[in-house]
This record gives sequence, C-alpha cells and structure tokens, in this order.
Amino acid sequence: MKDTRKDFPILEREINGNNLVYLDNAATSQKPKQVIDSISEYYSNHNANVHRGIHTLSEEATKLYEDARKKVASFIGALPEEVIFTKGTTESLNRVAISWGLKNLKKGDVVLLSDFEHHSNMIPWMEETKVVGAKVSYLESNENGEITLDEVKKKINENEGKVKIISITHASNVLGTIVPIKEICKIAHEKGILVCVDGAQAVPHMKVSIKSLDCDFYAFSGHKMLGPMGIGVLWVRKEILDKLEPYEFGGGMVDEVSYEKATYTDAPVKFEAGTPNVSGAIGLASAIDYLENIGMDEIRNHEIELNKYTLEKLKEIKNLEIIGPKEAEKRTGVISFVVKNVHAHDIASVLNGFGVAVRSGHHCAMPYHRKHKISATTRISHYLYNTKEDIDKLIEGINKATELLG
Amino acid sequence: MQDNLNYQEELMDIYKNPHNKGKLNKPSVSVSKQNPMCGDEIKLDLNIKNGIVEDAKFEGSACSVSVISSSILTDYLIGKKIEEVKKLTKEDLLKLINLNLTTSRVACATLILSALEEGLKNYTKEIVKNYEKRN
Repeated sequence: MKDTRKDFPILEREINGNNLVYLDNAATSQKPKQVIDSISEYYSNHNANVHRGIHTLSEEATKLYEDARKKVASFIGALPEEVIFTKGTTESLNRVAISWGLKNLKKGDVVLLSDFEHHSNMIPWMEETKVVGAKVSYLESNENGEITLDEVKKKINENEGKVKIISITHASNVLGTIVPIKEICKIAHEKGILVCVDGAQAVPHMKVSIKSLDCDFYAFSGHKMLGPMGIGVLWVRKEILDKLEPYEFGGGMVDEVSYEKATYTDAPVKFEAGTPNVSGAIGLASAIDYLENIGMDEIRNHEIELNKYTLEKLKEIKNLEIIGPKEAEKRTGVISFVVKNVHAHDIASVLNGFGVAVRSGHHCAMPYHRKHKISATTRISHYLYNTKEDIDKLIEGINKATELLG
Repeated sequence: MQDNLNYQEELMDIYKNPHNKGKLNKPSVSVSKQNPMCGDEIKLDLNIKNGIVEDAKFEGSACSVSVISSSILTDYLIGKKIEEVKKLTKEDLLKLINLNLTTSRVACATLILSALEEGLKNYTKEIVKNYEKRN
C-alpha cells in the first residue's frame, strides 16, 4: 500500500519525546489534510445556509451539501434519497429505536441484539422497549467471539413470531469480529424480521454494499473514516422510509405551515430539521474521495496483513490473552487483550510514555466485559496509515509494562 | 522514558505489596464503588469506635493508581478522628499519594475516596437512626 502518512499532519506530532503511534482508530481516526482543507475551503469561500437561499453562496452550499449526499450514497451503493445526515452512529441508532420502534413495536415483541453490542445499539432499544412493553433479547457469541447463524435461527425460533427486528453491529468495536450481516438478513427476512446494522466499525475498513447486504437500516459515523466529527449517516430502505414520521420538527423540512398545522417535505430532507452540518457533510465527502482513491480492498488487505503481524507478535508475550477471533481475516483492525496481573489502564499509561495511543477500559460494552469477568481490556485499533514499525513500538511498550507491573 | 505517571520503584512496591488489603471481620461500615470508565470495583471496610477509625481495609481488582491510592489512604485513615477524615478533599488525597496523574487517571485515584465518602455518609445515617430508635 502506498505511504499515506505524509497526508496526516497529526502523525508528525511528538508525544513524551517519541513520534506519535496512533492506535486508537476505533475511537476516532485521524484526518488527512485533504479533508481538513475541504472544510477550510467551504468556510473560506462558500459558507451559507442551505436549501432556502436564492443568492449564489446559498446555491453553492446547497450543491456541495447535496453532492456530499450523492457521494455517500454511491459509496455504500444506495440511493441519495435514502441517505439521512445525522451527527453520528449514536444518533442514527437512537432514531431507528425511537422513531421506527415506537410506531412499529408493541407489547410482547422482541428486539434481538448481539451480546457484544456497543452501548449505543443497546440502551436506545432498552429504553424504547420499556415504553411499549416489548423485550430485548441477546444473541450469544461463541468462544471465538462470533455470532453463528445457528444461534440466530435458535433465538428466532425460541421467540417464535415475536422477533420484529434484529439490531446488530457489522463489526465489533471490542472483538473486531466481522458479523455475517448478509446471511443474517436472509434468515431474518424469511421470517418477516427487519435488520438494523451498526456499521460504525465496518464502513471505514471494508467495501460495504447496502444492496448486497439487503438490510433495512444502516448507521455509521464520518469521524471513524477520516471525516470530521459531528457528521454521520442513517440509511433507511426506501419502502420503510416512506412510512417513517419525522422525529424532529422545525425549519427546512416543511411544505406548508399554518397557525394550526404543518405538512412536510419528502425524505431525506424531512428528517433533517434545522440547519444541517454542511461542513461536516463536505468533509465526509472528501474523506470518501480519499478512501476511494486508495481503494477499499487495498485498505482491507493492509489491515489483514497488519492483523497477522500484530496477532503473531502479541502471542509471544507471556500471560497475554487475546480476546475475539483467532483468525486475522475474521477481524477488522481491532485487537483487544488482557495481561494477567497487569491492569489495562497501566498498560495504556506506560504505552503513552512511548508515544503509543491505545484505549483501555470496557469500550462502551460493559455487559460483555462483565459476562466474561474481565474488568478492563486494552484495545489497539489500526488503520491505513499504521505500519509494522508502529506495532513494534507497541510491543516494546507492552513488554515494558509487564516488566514494571507484572 | 518520559511519562506523566512515573512508575517509580517505591510506588511499584506499594502496588505489589499494598497495605491493608483484605476485609474486616465485622466492619462498622462497608462500601463498594465502581469506576464507570473501566468497571473496576473497590470495597472499603471501616471499623469505627468512639469517633475514631480503628481499622480500615480494602479489596478488589484494580489498576496500580487505584491500589496505591487505596493503600496510602487506608494507612492515613487508621487512628484518625471521623471529623478529621470527613474534611479530606480530593486535593488532599492527591497530595497524599503524590503521583503526577493525567486527568483521566485522577478518577482511578479517587475511587477509594468516593467509597470513603459514601461509607461515612452511611455510617452517620445509621448513627442517627439508632439514636432516634433509642429516643
């Protein structure tokens, strides 16, 4: 893969006297200067509010914003009118749970989630089902950190006729596990069950085609895929979107308003009340350009290669246990581990001394950690700009931590 | 190696052999506290007699900062008057443990302090309840 490091100004930073090794990409990715420049260019030359103005700047801003929507749509193989801009995956998933859920779920219904969901694909459903008297049930991952299709079938059968939606991550933010969404959709749809997908950890790392997955809702964030923070996407299948009520009301989403009532414009603008995050959408479009320029398959191959290298190196460390799939191909660039008698926070602190940024804790998946009796894990997550040298530095830091604390 | 938190030898000694680790037989008060950042849990037991902390013990799996802080704080507590202990602030504790902590690690150090605060509150409530019962 071509060297992209020079495009990322932040990678020139020094932390504690060392060159920054950024391995916290599952939390947020760094931004190439092309993305930073696109935002600066928008505010320097085109800034105006969208959709309403007759003047030149407003028309330019509207075009840039709608072009960004088209870019996102084509990137995931969807229609632009199915792409709703949100502030991120969390908002997107909340909107599915609250907006679709409140109208379509009733007492006794079941929402199926995996046992390793991020809190943002768990708590909205807990809250929503409380209101309507429905129930959340969990698909159990196996010892390799995978959700098998047999488990999906089993849980659907156990709750015969009650499961209305499966809401599941495309790739786990703790285990790295890539979930077989396409196959799950096939099983679910045969029973008339909808599928909502948290794609926050998948879209940045692999080619995602909504059409091929055949899911019903798909959510992801811009900031984990080289784009800015505060912009995300909720994709909804057209037939469902047409029946969905808006969840926020205000400017920009109306057809006609009297003192008594209002009628609303069509999707997706109907779901974007108020001034949208125009610069965010433009930054995201620029990030997609950047990713497409390298090629998603190329990015995925680089990730698998780095996974193999990292897993091999980690296995050499005494008392270190890797969580999740053993096979490099079954993961995105997320690898979490525990070291016997050395706390994850201490490992992260020692690594910080080496300029290596990793995450430690429960990674917004507290129930999974409790279930497996792990208090905290150390998570490394790499991306297209990471190298084998970065992993060597990581290993050096972990060895130092175990020497000090083990 | 430059680090915000220096893993100095004497501190590592405390981490590996902390004081007052364990539980008390019949504690006057016992409180468990969780750090929502990592899910760590620490339990603090206190024996209080005549307004004085006679003994203090802690247990739980936690990071070095949390263990060091718990060890130093329980050492400090033993023999102190409750009224004095109640006045202990976060700043006092950080001075006491003397670690150069980054913002994110302060929560690890103060986990034991929030257990102490809750413990003292529960203890006071219990005293008031017993007093009201007697009268």
